[in-house]
Amino acid sequence: MTSQFIPLLRNEVTKAARRKLSWFGIFAVGLACVIVYFIAGQLSSAATANAWGYVGFSMQIVFTDIGPIFIITFAAMLVAEETGAGTIRAALAAPVHRWELYLAKAVTGLFYMMVLSVAALLFSATLAKIHYHFGAVADSAGVVYGRSQATHELLVSYALSWIPLSALVMYGILISTIVRTPGAAVAVGISTLFVIEFTKHLAGLDPYIFTRYITYSWLNLQQLAQGMDYQWRPEVWKMIELSGVSAVVTFVAGLILFVRQDLNN
Amino acid sequence: MESAAALVLEDVSKRFGRVQAVDHLSLQVEPGHLAGFLGPNGAGKSTTLYMIPRLVRPTHGRIRLFGVDIWKDYKKAIRSVGITVETPAFYEYLSGRKNLELAARLLDHVSPREIDEILERIGLAERQHDRVRVYSTGMKQRLGIGRAMLGRPRLLILDEPTNGMDPEGTHEMLSFLREEVRNDGLTIFISSHLMSEIEEFCDTVYVINRGHLVASGRVKELLKPHERIVRVTFQGKVPDRDFISRHEQIRNAKPVTADMMEITLAQDDSAWLNQCLLQAGFRVSAIAPKQKTLKEFFLSITGLRRAEVPSSINQPPSAQAGDKPHD
Repeated sequence: MTSQFIPLLRNEVTKAARRKLSWFGIFAVGLACVIVYFIAGQLSSAATANAWGYVGFSMQIVFTDIGPIFIITFAAMLVAEETGAGTIRAALAAPVHRWELYLAKAVTGLFYMMVLSVAALLFSATLAKIHYHFGAVADSAGVVYGRSQATHELLVSYALSWIPLSALVMYGILISTIVRTPGAAVAVGISTLFVIEFTKHLAGLDPYIFTRYITYSWLNLQQLAQGMDYQWRPEVWKMIELSGVSAVVTFVAGLILFVRQDLNN
Repeated sequence: MESAAALVLEDVSKRFGRVQAVDHLSLQVEPGHLAGFLGPNGAGKSTTLYMIPRLVRPTHGRIRLFGVDIWKDYKKAIRSVGITVETPAFYEYLSGRKNLELAARLLDHVSPREIDEILERIGLAERQHDRVRVYSTGMKQRLGIGRAMLGRPRLLILDEPTNGMDPEGTHEMLSFLREEVRNDGLTIFISSHLMSEIEEFCDTVYVINRGHLVASGRVKELLKPHERIVRVTFQGKVPDRDFISRHEQIRNAKPVTADMMEITLAQDDSAWLNQCLLQAGFRVSAIAPKQKTLKEFFLSITGLRRAEVPSSINQPPSAQAGDKPHD
């Protein structure tokens, strides 16, 4: 019997594309980029150093709050919305396995995270081009970082930011599996995100879990933009391990819960 | 495999904490039957239906669809089955047609033409592009049945499929299902509160109470006329209390209409009653054994008092929600 993953994924993408929340998230991220564009110089000298600095600053601001909130909202609704409305019953009464549906939802959550992230980067880069150049980073002594190196670091920053964002998506879907009404799932998702942010230093996890490292890579890009001697700190590897592990653990936990739970009213 | 029963529940139980929702339930629905599944609220009907597409995991027992165990090869087992459990739910922000298209993607070889045909058959062709949000409850019920019929299933399992439909819509839908059974050999397992629906349209009935199967069989056999209760139609005067009390053979008598009485006899002896009435000067125009209704049968075996019967059972279909769209 063939896997139904691809048809399920197509269904999930179709539904996501027809929902206002998906588009509102992109609009909100774009709006945040525009606001940052107008206030960048007042908030950070790095933001006005050059295009690299502006992009790093803009992405850092957008993904401190607005980006993660929309990502976790989207993820927290993926399962809970269907459980609450009862559409999950029809989906699972078809010849599909539960793990296939959960996997399709997880991939859709990751896909939306990427779309939001790409949209934010495009907005930031487009706005950056209005005032700045994506040229070499230089100071009075000459070129500090060439254009290709800066581009390379931008892409590395971008790729690294996806790891904690993926952990966020998986966390949102786990909440969505546990809390069966969409409103409550979103509330629990966002509130626990802030609780973790405020308390994670108590457990010694401060630099590694969720939002700080979503923006940390962009902070490094800002340092590069100012010609500073930036370094990818060893914590980056810990972040990759912890965010990666937490993404896998929350995905597996959510999957097991989803596969085993009774889906009656 | 063709000769296997369409649905077999074998000693199925489900416990939610302290509540035993379904208790060692066994039943078998033969192919080509329209079978009714009756029970009061909380009897375990929905839990039973939830277990068939594995939405709820049974604590004990086996379920087979056309001979295939749902826990051994779910995809193969469910491929020939269309199910709606409780009120059909849809993506309200999508059109009726889009909802069917999403469901069709998960089945093999469902063409756009088949979707057109189903929309036509369920009477939603003209509203197919409207968002489900503006559909009435009855329209959603019909769309739910349409979704269950995608992929030409051999067994339809429908949970309260006529809830929210007006009497005309209910009759049309059930007649349509009846035709599907007759013409295409479809098997239908239908759960309902409305006894008249089951009585009129189903071949067989399964009655569940407190998680147990309390009765099953062909509707005609279960509803055999009462042998000791007769309805007597008179021309002119009707017997009074004195007459009733003088005859020990008459256990009870109550007026049905001005010229009709329902008389309960100690024995099945309507000939004696006829003679007795004639000798007493009553003019009897007809004596007929009282036809048992499914409601009476249901009440007698579930032990429910009339006040405990779900309101929908006591209401005529016309008293239920209409089929008007929300917009």
